[in-house]
Amino acid sequence: MSVQDDLETVEWDVSEDAHITVDNEQCITCEDKPCLHLCPAECFDYQEDQEGGIYFAYEPCVECGACMVFCANDPDKGAVSWSKAEGGKGVEFDFG
Amino acid sequence: MTDVSFDVVVVGAGRAGVAAAYKLADEGFEVALVERAKQPGMKNVTGGVLYGSILDDLVPEFPEEAPLERHVVEHNIKLLHGDAEVSIGYRDLELREEPNYTLMLGKFDRWFVDRAVDQGVTFLSETAVRDVTQEESRAVVHTDREDGDIACDVVIGADGVNTTVGRKTGIQRTMRNEDMALSVKKVIDVGRETIDQRFNLDSDEGAAYIYTGFPEGAPTIGYFIYTFDEYISVGAVGGLETLRWLGDEGYGETGTPLYSLLEDFMELDTVRPYVQGDAVEEYQGILVPEHSYDTLPDRQDRRVALVGDAAGLVLNKGYTFRGLDYGIKSGLVAAEAAVKCAEDGDWDAFGRRYDTSLEDSYVLQDMKQHRHLPKFLKNERMYDAYPGIATETLRGMYSAETDASGLTWRQAYRAFRRSDAGFLDLLKDGYRGLRSL
Repeated sequence: MSVQDDLETVEWDVSEDAHITVDNEQCITCEDKPCLHLCPAECFDYQEDQEGGIYFAYEPCVECGACMVFCANDPDKGAVSWSKAEGGKGVEFDFG
Repeated sequence: MTDVSFDVVVVGAGRAGVAAAYKLADEGFEVALVERAKQPGMKNVTGGVLYGSILDDLVPEFPEEAPLERHVVEHNIKLLHGDAEVSIGYRDLELREEPNYTLMLGKFDRWFVDRAVDQGVTFLSETAVRDVTQEESRAVVHTDREDGDIACDVVIGADGVNTTVGRKTGIQRTMRNEDMALSVKKVIDVGRETIDQRFNLDSDEGAAYIYTGFPEGAPTIGYFIYTFDEYISVGAVGGLETLRWLGDEGYGETGTPLYSLLEDFMELDTVRPYVQGDAVEEYQGILVPEHSYDTLPDRQDRRVALVGDAAGLVLNKGYTFRGLDYGIKSGLVAAEAAVKCAEDGDWDAFGRRYDTSLEDSYVLQDMKQHRHLPKFLKNERMYDAYPGIATETLRGMYSAETDASGLTWRQAYRAFRRSDAGFLDLLKDGYRGLRSL
């Protein structure tokens, strides 16, 4: 099992507007890129042709807030701009 | 101009927010309960047991009426060390007298909101709060609905660990890695009879398992297994700071994904028999506040009070997690503060009154008593040297193959000498442990 298989069990009503965005310019100087292993939904992917090496997709986000803490709130990083998904959109857990 | 107004707006329909709204409606207040999900519970995640006596006064009939999973009668703490596991199990029929249950929030929160609506609460779903402002004699909750501003006397921010209310009002300080743990969890379909057999339970009885010591020496990393009616949940928790540097799987050659740790944990020989199942039904992730009493963030400003996870009211006691009941209690305390303000009209005193009453409540008394525990649980020896000493001592007692011989206390002494822990460490840690538990 990989986390991608586990994510198959999750449902979303994906919004047209991204609730999280990434300013790739900030990723250029980020050496450890903790997003690549700390995001539990693998929303961040390393792709060499992307600026700073980061490709970000908001669609599979499970709305935990980790990237706000480890990136947006870190004065040395700050690539992530974070807000909650719009009302009625985003992840929809059945069990909780 | 805002046309819509209520006495109180509660932001977030988790248990803390619903308890507050329920109580206020019961007292005759006009209450709006604002929730961003389509249905209650859809955004909510827990990895805990509901210590339910907190609901005795508000909804005395809840054990019969609420959709609960299993009545928790057994707790287990398991220290992992290499191939070995040392466990302390506690099963007590007297626990049947206490209303402590495992829950699935999808069902429970929907039920709780329905009950609050019966009390007269106005429930507004699919509504995300974007800002909260305070004016001279009122507060305004700004939502993402068209013409979605709601005026009120006071606001209760029950919008979870990533609280918009707390951040937008500036009440909550900026959270950093040291403040937060990440948790991932899987819900697995196992079937009722298999759960009963596997965990040695009678049909409605439940068990909770807490694990530490894997990987060896990794502080703050823990795991849990809870039994539901027909499912089990198995999850991992780890401090963000630890996860950032632990291991070498990350881009910067440090760090490990928490879901990899959970996968590895579930493959351990001592764990696999409990967690194997037909299918993963759901995967979830959530942040868990990891404050000690001394580092708790602020939780009020004039007409705004933060409750539950939004106020960081969670305590990892090492042997159990408290948070579900702390949330409900803080919601009730906020409701009581609003009642007091309505009596004398001094709404500006709302936040202060809430804060003072919460300080006197068992929630903050409990966190105060355990104020040294979070630091104690960050001590690496707790995850390496001490489980190792326990394992080697027991191996000396029970294994016929080891070269250990002699009296048990001598084996324990030798195991201790072979470990990295010094006498001074043991004395210090023992003292700290006694002081914090």
